[in-house]
Amino acid sequence: MSDTVKINIDGTDYEVAAGSNLVDAAKWHAGNDIPVFCYHPKMDPVGMCRMCLVELGTPARDRATGDIVLNDDGSPQIRYFPKLQTACTTTVSDGMHIKTNTQQVIDARNDVLEFLLSSHPLDCPICDKGGECPLQNLTMRHGPQASRMYFEDKQLLEKHYPLGDLIFLDQERCIQCARCVRFQDEIVGDDVLAFHERGRRLQIITNSDPGFDTYFSGNTTDICPVGALTTADFRFGARPWELTDVPSISPWDAAGENITLSMRLDRDFGGKALIKRVMPRQNELVNEIWISDKTRFGHHFTRSDDRLVTAQIRTGDALRESNWDSAVSEIAQILRDAGGDVAAIAGSGMSNEDLWELRRLMEGLGSSRLGAWPPTHGGAEAVAEVGVGFGTNLGQLGKGDAILVIACDLEEEVPIWRLRLKQAQDRGAYLVVANARDTRLEDFAVQGARNDRVVEGDAVRYGAGEAVGVMRDLKKSHKKIAERLSKAENLVIVAGAEGLTLAGSRALAQAARNFLAESGHAGTRNSGLLSPLPGANGMGLHYLGFRPDASLDIAASPPKVLLVAQAELFDDDPAARAWLSQVETVIYANFFDDGISEFADFVLPLQTFAERDGSFVNGERRVQRFTLAQGPVGQALPAWKLFGSIRQEMGMSHLKPSAAAVMLEISKNVSVFEGMRYKALAQVKRQFPDVGGRDQYYGGTAYTNTGGVGIQIPAIADDDKKLKPVDLAESDDVVAADGEVLIMPIMRLYNRQRNFRPSLLLEPRILAPYAIIHPADAQALGIIQGDVIDISAGDSIIRARASVSDEIAAGVVALPRHMTDAAAPMSICSGAISRVAQAVASAD
Amino acid sequence: MAIIGNPKYEARIDHHLAKYETKRSAVMPLLYIAQEEYGWVNPEGIEEVAQILNLDPTQVKSIAGFYTMYSERPKGEYWLQVCTDLPCALKGADDFHAWLKEELGVEEGGTSADGMFTVEHVMCLAACDKAPMLQCNFHYVENLDQNKMRDLLAKWRQEAAGASNGHR
Amino acid sequence: MHILLRGREIANIKQLDVYEAHGGFAGLKVSLAMKPAEVIDVVKASGLRGRGGAGFPTGVKWSFIPQHEPIKYVTVNADESETGTFKDREIMEENPYQLIEGSLICAYAIQAKAVYIYLRGEFWDIGDQLDACIEALREKGYVGKNIMGSGYDCEVYTHLGAGAYICGEESALLNSLEGYLGQPRVRPPFPAQKGGGLYKEATVVNNVETLANVPFILTEGAEVFKAIGTEQSAGNKVYCVSGHVKKPGNYELPMNTTFRELLYEHAGGPLHEDRAFKAMLPSGGSGPIVPLTDEVLDTPMSYEDAEKIGTIIGSASIIIMDETVDMTWVASKVTKFFKHESCGKCTPCREGTYWLDKVIDRILDGRGSPDDVKRIADVAENMAGTTLCALGDFAANPIIHTIRHFPDDFAQHVQAQG
Ligand SMILES: Cc1cc2nc3c(=O)[nH]c(=O)nc-3n(C[C@H](O)[C@H](O)[C@H](O)COP(=O)(O)O)c2cc1C
Ligand code: SF4
Ligand code: FES
Repeated sequence: MSDTVKINIDGTDYEVAAGSNLVDAAKWHAGNDIPVFCYHPKMDPVGMCRMCLVELGTPARDRATGDIVLNDDGSPQIRYFPKLQTACTTTVSDGMHIKTNTQQVIDARNDVLEFLLSSHPLDCPICDKGGECPLQNLTMRHGPQASRMYFEDKQLLEKHYPLGDLIFLDQERCIQCARCVRFQDEIVGDDVLAFHERGRRLQIITNSDPGFDTYFSGNTTDICPVGALTTADFRFGARPWELTDVPSISPWDAAGENITLSMRLDRDFGGKALIKRVMPRQNELVNEIWISDKTRFGHHFTRSDDRLVTAQIRTGDALRESNWDSAVSEIAQILRDAGGDVAAIAGSGMSNEDLWELRRLMEGLGSSRLGAWPPTHGGAEAVAEVGVGFGTNLGQLGKGDAILVIACDLEEEVPIWRLRLKQAQDRGAYLVVANARDTRLEDFAVQGARNDRVVEGDAVRYGAGEAVGVMRDLKKSHKKIAERLSKAENLVIVAGAEGLTLAGSRALAQAARNFLAESGHAGTRNSGLLSPLPGANGMGLHYLGFRPDASLDIAASPPKVLLVAQAELFDDDPAARAWLSQVETVIYANFFDDGISEFADFVLPLQTFAERDGSFVNGERRVQRFTLAQGPVGQALPAWKLFGSIRQEMGMSHLKPSAAAVMLEISKNVSVFEGMRYKALAQVKRQFPDVGGRDQYYGGTAYTNTGGVGIQIPAIADDDKKLKPVDLAESDDVVAADGEVLIMPIMRLYNRQRNFRPSLLLEPRILAPYAIIHPADAQALGIIQGDVIDISAGDSIIRARASVSDEIAAGVVALPRHMTDAAAPMSICSGAISRVAQAVASAD
Repeated sequence: MAIIGNPKYEARIDHHLAKYETKRSAVMPLLYIAQEEYGWVNPEGIEEVAQILNLDPTQVKSIAGFYTMYSERPKGEYWLQVCTDLPCALKGADDFHAWLKEELGVEEGGTSADGMFTVEHVMCLAACDKAPMLQCNFHYVENLDQNKMRDLLAKWRQEAAGASNGHR
Repeated sequence: MHILLRGREIANIKQLDVYEAHGGFAGLKVSLAMKPAEVIDVVKASGLRGRGGAGFPTGVKWSFIPQHEPIKYVTVNADESETGTFKDREIMEENPYQLIEGSLICAYAIQAKAVYIYLRGEFWDIGDQLDACIEALREKGYVGKNIMGSGYDCEVYTHLGAGAYICGEESALLNSLEGYLGQPRVRPPFPAQKGGGLYKEATVVNNVETLANVPFILTEGAEVFKAIGTEQSAGNKVYCVSGHVKKPGNYELPMNTTFRELLYEHAGGPLHEDRAFKAMLPSGGSGPIVPLTDEVLDTPMSYEDAEKIGTIIGSASIIIMDETVDMTWVASKVTKFFKHESCGKCTPCREGTYWLDKVIDRILDGRGSPDDVKRIADVAENMAGTTLCALGDFAANPIIHTIRHFPDDFAQHVQAQG
């Protein structure tokens, strides 16, 4: 069979990909926008709305012989279906003819629109979708001139029906296309939306508890072809045509979701540009057209009242407000005096430009102590070596491929990866989820875990801290699984740090690396290693020389002067107070004060991703740009400018005029960044499916990618496929001390981290502090469900409610980090549990 | 009571689960059981069915809403569904239906003050040669007229006064 | 002679021993001795066409099932919800074993794993009776493992719907059976194809009456069956007569019988002697209405002859209306049916049925204008041919054809508004 077929659209022949959908093919090859409402190229066609009707014909075949019947002129005779056919449910076939511009088709489009409008309110001027609404656009183009439906015959329905706390449904506007229902079912795998009743009473409902509440719910508002679904965040917030779209990158995790910030000058924000909403920006290689709710609704920290706004300098016991000039000159003096006994700790949300300037500063001072924060994940090195091969697209994984996810909870750590890997499983990939407890992704690896969905997968359960051994010995202990993984056409391994120490997570990544090397998958496209490194730029830290071990080393032997940039040491590390007290001078630059000001001699305000230019390297090693969108807050500066100013003050170098100039320098000095100038990063090619553009059938305008798809740094294995196995890094097994249990920190997507808490919409969704404890341990300690307990380990004491469950092993307590103001342990350790108070009988 | 763990339904639930290739297929028979237990498809019933079938409750609610024989509101002891579709209407079913509502003092879809009877009209029940007719708690009563109906109502009232009915 | 409504001749044929004593399961026995493909050939040769409405040749349908597929199913369409249809009900109430025997023959012919009988929810009591029949058959080795010692295994189950006409549409039926909303599926793939049937496996969907014919064909031979009826409409058909006749009910007659014979000789003529017949819906609410003229009365009730008078036989639910009936009211009744039964999945049917109902109500109320009559005719035309399943077309029919044949009935309501 050939890869292409010939089809004829309105009299012109086109060569199109075999097996493609007719709507997609017509759009891609002929620029012919067949109008659609229910069809969406990311989901299975359902043929519901009937908007895409076309005349469809195929070559006639002789009934007896099966041969194609020819016309007198030798061309094949085309037999048209007597009725119009839905293009969206049609797969192209060789010789197919369609007509999209005949009177019959024009009438049919007109009729379907008239039907839809017969019950749709004509309130475009006050509708959130107004200006980017497929129904509005199509009505302008194909619709009836006037409604023949009597106004009083229209149904009156609920206008503000909450599907959950985040998404509202306007029942009058809904056109029953089921895109939202199908998104939740097909893409997310959480079928919490459905139709209720039938006929004209058909309505979208949720009956789940809590309601429509998934980490991806906002996407439904993008794909809704009318203004029926709106987010509580943006509803009535602005008119789409008042907004300016600025390309950006999600600041939250290793996925590096491409986003668009919709900006408007806002009176309440001093007349400056303000983020009105966050929309996905199409990058098929990264996030396709989806973003997590955290990315969409988590942006409020950028304009939080708690932001640091002025440079502060300590005099005696107190910090006093100052200005940049004095701060920079005083810092320069202190650094000069330090005699090289300086170190820096950089948070994983810092841009490459920031990191470069910081590194240069430290080098200029003769220090190579560059700490990456938080020091929890040791996998970056292995990712640089055997990360997913050049050109990898997780969206292409499917039948014949395999995925192993070990020691992490992707739903909570990198939700978009979980979304895409779940879909790979739907397409037939073999999914193995290995962990020390239940995680959401496991539902898609175990037959019968949810619904009757047929799944290809396995779950491996191991004791806390045993991940390294499991990965290393997979071929022995899980022979069948290991064999399927090895033999798969493509193999992606996601190795995290849950239940591991920093050294343990490094060893796990190395074991995964060895597995990929042995199976021959290393260095090939659509195969390789991923790691849910915290923050948006875990790989950038690595490439620019910042190491988590250096952070541990800094804590173990503190320097005279410590520069802490965009890292919340107090929130993360229960021991921070102890070791920071040994540092003579702490220079702290961040968005928020995490309590460190008590120790800091300088507290300096930084700009967030929204206020400045910069770039991140995502977990697939893709370098991606974000751009200045929001107006400045106080005196905050981008970090690269702060460090550049200090360097200038110290006579090391001139301050660069722009982030672009910093990137230019990086590209000349750091080999992996070669050629990655801003202009190159901003390049976009037309992507399939073509969802942006003027037709807007598939979503809001903000899908259109104008900011570039980024450039991937090759993995070392891409060039050198013959990797030898390495010996795994030393990592002592952590064991519980006598009378203690293992405390296993875990991550929740919604937590009390400083930059997340200000999210107006999501803050109420952060769970109260809890810890999961096995029934046997609970019983031994006299703890029942809901009791208040103290979990203490080293310098950390966390007070939380006991959640008694056998989803973890006995002897282990799973403790979500960042649920309280006190810092929980960063890595697995031994600790004690004690009961503080009885469960309060709750109302239910 | 509940349907989960209720010995009354155990064998039937098992029978339905065994019939099909997927658990989901059993949602309709199980909704009938929930309706039998609670008198209508109430939130508890939906939860339980969802739990038995490992489905999201939204899916179960959706099924309950699509089909007219699941009632998402409480009904009277006797749920009277009068066919008023064309063939029956040609034989006076509309008048019969109107009379019955008046007799019981109820609106369309309403329940009599004593909680005994819910009256609603339905589409063709495949009994067109025996009009007027109705379905009472899913059993057919055919070739009706006002006299026969009065007798029946009296009988049902008596029945209810005696034991609790065994119709569903 | 009755092939189907044998309960009228043989008392207690609904008991297994009586059914057996009258040749029951001989057809299955004959079939099991043949190769599956040979059974299909016999049914093909008989000329049997589907009695569910569309009249598709039954043997041909069976032959579409890909034999190499390991899992196949038979589903019996016992949803019988078309306005005015009550034939499947009598077959199942009075002659249930014959339906099951026919289903098993079909199952054997396509080598199905199981038979699911999808009953409309209101057939609650019939479901109980069929379940008892199936148990009785299992005990005697007609159902389950190694049927009649042949080595062929097949299970038979019943499934109750819950009040949705659309579940008679075969793909909606399959969705409903799988526990999804009873909304039609996109086709292709068709039920007979892998991916399109029950649980995505190749599946035959046949009507009750269709399958109840099958044992006779196997015992008596295809030729005997083919000799009954007309060239293109072989066999007997059960006609369901309702409305303004003296003796409404089911009548099983050869398919070359005329409407006149049915209505006057069997159904006893007009209910009220002094009133003339006015119109007939020969296929319930879904087929085109026709005025009861002499030409129509003398037409044989076959698939092909019905077409000649501009209507269809469909499921043969023959609703008779005399001269006192207002066709605007009929249009409204039927429209209310389809509005109530529209599944809501596709736009033209969901919106169209709702809209039509609103406007007809207005016309009936005397608040309509002549424009409104044009409007509903136009809306109905716009629905026809654009919907996902045939229900949309069905819903358009009553409007289009009542207005076409009985314009005065509409005019009388809107004249005042003129
Ligand atoms: C809206 C709609 C309702 C239908 N209802 C029924 C029904 O109640 N019973 C039935 O046997 N076929 C019904 N059919 C026809 C079925 O789709 C299908 O053609 C039939 O079951 C095939 O069986 P047959 O070939 O034996 O006729 C209906 C079709 C449509 C479009
Ligand atoms: S025509 Fe009506 S019943 Fe058929 S799919 Fe469309 S809405 Fe549903
Ligand atoms: S039916 Fe094709 S786009 Fe909706």
